[in-house]
Amino acid sequence: MTTPSSPPHDDRLSPPPFDPELAAALAIMAESIPSSLLPEMIPALQGGAVLMRPSDDDLRRGGAFEIEERTMPGPEGAPAISLLICRPAGVTGPIPALYNIHGGGMVMGDNRTGIEGILEMAQELGLAVVSVEYRLAPEHPHPAPVEDCYAGLVWTAEHAEEIGVDRDRIVVGGGSAGGGLSAAVALLARDRGGPSLAGQLLACPMLDDRNDTVSSLQMAGLGVWDRTSNDTGWTALLGERRGGPDVSPYAAPARAEDLSGLPPAFIDVGSAETFRDEDVAYATRIWQAGGQAELHVWPGGFHGFDIMVPQAAISQAARAARIDWLRRLLTR
Amino acid sequence: MKELAGRLTALDPDAGAAVRVIAYFDRLLETRAGLEALVRGAAVLAGCPARLADEKRGVHVRVDADGRRADDEEPADPAWLSAPLTPDGPPALWLEREGPAGVVDAMVLERAVASIRAVLDRTRGSAPVDAAGDQAFVEVLLDASASETARLHAARRLGLRPGVPARAVALAGGQALIQSVPPSGAAPPPGDPRAGVGPAVRLLDLPASWSAALVALRLTAEGTEQDPGPRLVRADQMGGLAVLAAAIGPGSDPIPDVHALDRAAAAAPWMLAMLDAVASQSSLRTAATALHLHHSTLQDRLAHAEQVLGWSVHGPQGRLRLQLALALRRLHHHAPAAAAVSDRPG
Repeated sequence: MTTPSSPPHDDRLSPPPFDPELAAALAIMAESIPSSLLPEMIPALQGGAVLMRPSDDDLRRGGAFEIEERTMPGPEGAPAISLLICRPAGVTGPIPALYNIHGGGMVMGDNRTGIEGILEMAQELGLAVVSVEYRLAPEHPHPAPVEDCYAGLVWTAEHAEEIGVDRDRIVVGGGSAGGGLSAAVALLARDRGGPSLAGQLLACPMLDDRNDTVSSLQMAGLGVWDRTSNDTGWTALLGERRGGPDVSPYAAPARAEDLSGLPPAFIDVGSAETFRDEDVAYATRIWQAGGQAELHVWPGGFHGFDIMVPQAAISQAARAARIDWLRRLLTR
Repeated sequence: MKELAGRLTALDPDAGAAVRVIAYFDRLLETRAGLEALVRGAAVLAGCPARLADEKRGVHVRVDADGRRADDEEPADPAWLSAPLTPDGPPALWLEREGPAGVVDAMVLERAVASIRAVLDRTRGSAPVDAAGDQAFVEVLLDASASETARLHAARRLGLRPGVPARAVALAGGQALIQSVPPSGAAPPPGDPRAGVGPAVRLLDLPASWSAALVALRLTAEGTEQDPGPRLVRADQMGGLAVLAAAIGPGSDPIPDVHALDRAAAAAPWMLAMLDAVASQSSLRTAATALHLHHSTLQDRLAHAEQVLGWSVHGPQGRLRLQLALALRRLHHHAPAAAAVSDRPG
């Protein structure tokens, strides 16, 4: 009997198969998306070689959103940060908001990365989106990224009225590294008596720097964001501390000993990705601590499948599940 | 990263894109993906909606360019790019875009159709080609005592689409035919058979359409000298004749007017055809034209017929009596229980 935290010593682990449609799409995209990210590839990726940056017009979605970039003080002793604020056009009064933390393995992306999918969801639900620009590793190791994210959240809650947001209905959320940072921000808010969050939306979150679960071993060299990529990302964030005994839970939320007292969580992940076991474990530990979590494990999904292959049936289902959860959370 | 179609067209159109299209569909086949995934593949790779319609197997799948299932009842536009499932078959897969086809479009159509054919053969078997097999489904569909599930399954196998009305047609000889309304895939019956046509109804009401079609069939005639009249009768135009039909069973005695028609038929070979023309045409002049007779010849023959019948057919009442007598004669010749299986001439 093996468990995610004690992988068997077998390097011939057979991985779960990819979903048929995802596998076919991966066959087309494979050349431009390497399974493994190596440290020397980070500078090119930070240069925007892969991630396309949407324009202001893209963000307005034909006039559905008004957008604004605001600059505010960063964490103590650190540079200022900025927030991209997207409000449904013509809506007055406080509305719920999604505080968005972008993905990119802690080493790439900006506050517009993946925002189009977020805005599509926000438009359907009538949400404002506040997307934080945070400093990236390895130039800015832990705690710079998470502290920037937290400072942006505190500003958003304190200025909720000014930006037309209902401060009691702020959901923090993000995918991949953004999911990990969202979980960490929720821990910080709990521990520092910060803003009370309505929920945490953790899409395939990057939670555990130890990188040694069965799923991380199974998917080595396969799919998207494999074990090597994950090692690259965590090492950029933590340096030599990665995998060691004193990693902060605010860097790697899987390290938190206490998962009680957190806002309701939504966690989704593919069955065929590195993060499967750490994400399932996180949901399980929230339940065990008496918390509320909704967990979806999408069979045959690789990391970020819903973003990369949005047309696939399983991607449509994954998006619908997130929207359902947000609707139930914010309309009750 | 999300626009597969864009990625494809950006590639070397001759080699790179084609190879990737092949890889995409090969991969779907290897992993035993279903029809919807294949049609979605066509839509996503071509960047426009794609639809599959296999009337014989009753398969309809439409997916939009965003990959969402979006079936509709609209007919395919002949200008769209399309490919058949079999070399000389009708178009079955469409890319909802007008030609000319680019390299990617052509490759998508070819690989998608080949993959769909493989999945259809695997999951649905070959298209039903033997009429006996079809007839079994028709019987289930027309059987009001069969379960709704069984009837809807039979409808699918016959290529009938849920939501599209259909009608039952009763052919002389007992054969039943189901047609979509308006007719689409169902082939018209060969030749010009004697037929009663039921009203268009929703699929689960076809047993009622069939009952009405059987009544209508009883009112048809061979269209010969000895059995003149319409070879095709529509149930929704029968009016009160349906009530009359219900009154005439296998054991009913013909009224004297029917015996009078039989006497007239025996008196001269042209007699019944003439009386049918007089009964069904709007005037004696048009009846004469239809019979290729001079008007005065018709008048002479009609006088003879009225003597045999025993009543005048010149006035409206006499014509109605004649029409009813002719209808009753057909109804007696096509008794209800035997109507579906008898091809007895009238």
